[in-house]
Amino acid sequence: MEGKRIKVINQIFPFGLISNKTSRLQFLEGKISRGQLNLNSVLKKYILVSFLFFSFLGKLFAQEQVFFFGFFPEAAVTKSLSNGKKINFKVENQETFFRNTAREGEKWDVRHYRTDFMGFYSWQASPVINLAIGAFHRIQDGANANRIIQQMAFLQRLRSLRIAHRIRTDQTATRGESLEWRLRYRVALDIPLDGKTLDPGENYLVLSNEPIFSLQDGEFELENRLVFTLGKLINEEQKLEYSIDYRTDGFFQEGFRTRLWAKIGYFYNF
Amino acid sequence: MHNVRKLILVLVCLIPVLCFSQEKIEREKRVDEKAVPKAAIEWLYDAFEEIKKPKWYQEFFESGYSFEAKFFKDGRYFSVEFDSLGIIQDVEIEIPFDEIQPEVQKNLTAYWEETYTDFKLIKIQRQYSGEPDDLEDFFDENEVENILEQYEIEYIGKEKDGDEQIWEATFDAQGKFISKRVVIVRIMDNLIF
Repeated sequence: MEGKRIKVINQIFPFGLISNKTSRLQFLEGKISRGQLNLNSVLKKYILVSFLFFSFLGKLFAQEQVFFFGFFPEAAVTKSLSNGKKINFKVENQETFFRNTAREGEKWDVRHYRTDFMGFYSWQASPVINLAIGAFHRIQDGANANRIIQQMAFLQRLRSLRIAHRIRTDQTATRGESLEWRLRYRVALDIPLDGKTLDPGENYLVLSNEPIFSLQDGEFELENRLVFTLGKLINEEQKLEYSIDYRTDGFFQEGFRTRLWAKIGYFYNF
Repeated sequence: MHNVRKLILVLVCLIPVLCFSQEKIEREKRVDEKAVPKAAIEWLYDAFEEIKKPKWYQEFFESGYSFEAKFFKDGRYFSVEFDSLGIIQDVEIEIPFDEIQPEVQKNLTAYWEETYTDFKLIKIQRQYSGEPDDLEDFFDENEVENILEQYEIEYIGKEKDGDEQIWEATFDAQGKFISKRVVIVRIMDNLIF
């Protein structure tokens, strides 16, 4: 074949165009084509996972480990510039409804936890690879912070879903603390719920998980964020998302903590 | 103060409910076989006897709508398009590049090398079109008469004086370029930021 430059990109289309298919891949192809990965099975899995998730929530509320539950609205505006470049501005606000560490009688209370402002400048390294740098400011009682962010995101376009990978590094400066270095990797499945592609007016599901590795003062820590999202592409410019965001941290150091957020996100791009 | 805050939170929660109930504008949707014209179903099961449960989609465009059946057969993905009355339009079969005849490969590669500074293949479909009876004979009896063969190929290409784009191009049976369009990847702001 003449094509030393004919490269099939498996990230985008992983079911082997030029290479021989293995039986495993054929099995997967068959599974997808026969509709086992269709809406019903996705929904059933979603319901099952949600059930398991909520069934152990009761335990969380009762246990002695640190547990927060709260409301987490977020809004983002993205302006597309020429040549695939974008500017993004995002605000996130976290209000806790429940903290098991509060005094008796004050556990259920609406309290401000954090408000984060962030801005990104992004550009396309290819139609499916996006690079971005960003800055971030956090308002939190006694722990205001500033952060710089570097990230790469790439998209796999499969037949009935998209997989978005995001690798992010960030450095956070908090007053009175040493610089914190983090490495994050998020994988998100973006599944249209009406047909094989997402069109305006249709709903979608995003399932994502993101481990976050951090290093501060020579100490290593791990946080994990698992998010279930039901979204709607209102029109070409706007998206609206309802999410359950389940965060766990303190795996290595003292104070294992879980935070559960009910999120509402609004995304506008123009 | 706390009550005011709670009220605001409840109101914020209600806004999305209102948005979710907005009218839906569809371009493509999954449909049940019952919603597909009888002619399409009959043609499909006559031409491809052993297929099990194809997935049906209805696609809407400015001048009307069409139906599409997708299924997996003999290690290949098939996509069969019918018009709104159920008349067969074309059949597309996904194939690997090395299944294309060497002379055709040469023509395709020559076009890409001439037009782009770099390119990567994503998906190749061999497309067959013709009269319903001829197409049916082609698939169940291998008769090639009156069948138009073309290639529809998706690839990433960087034009010499442009950006890298995803293209969907049509080539004739000899691999000569006919037409192309840019494939727009939907903005994934919610997945990036």
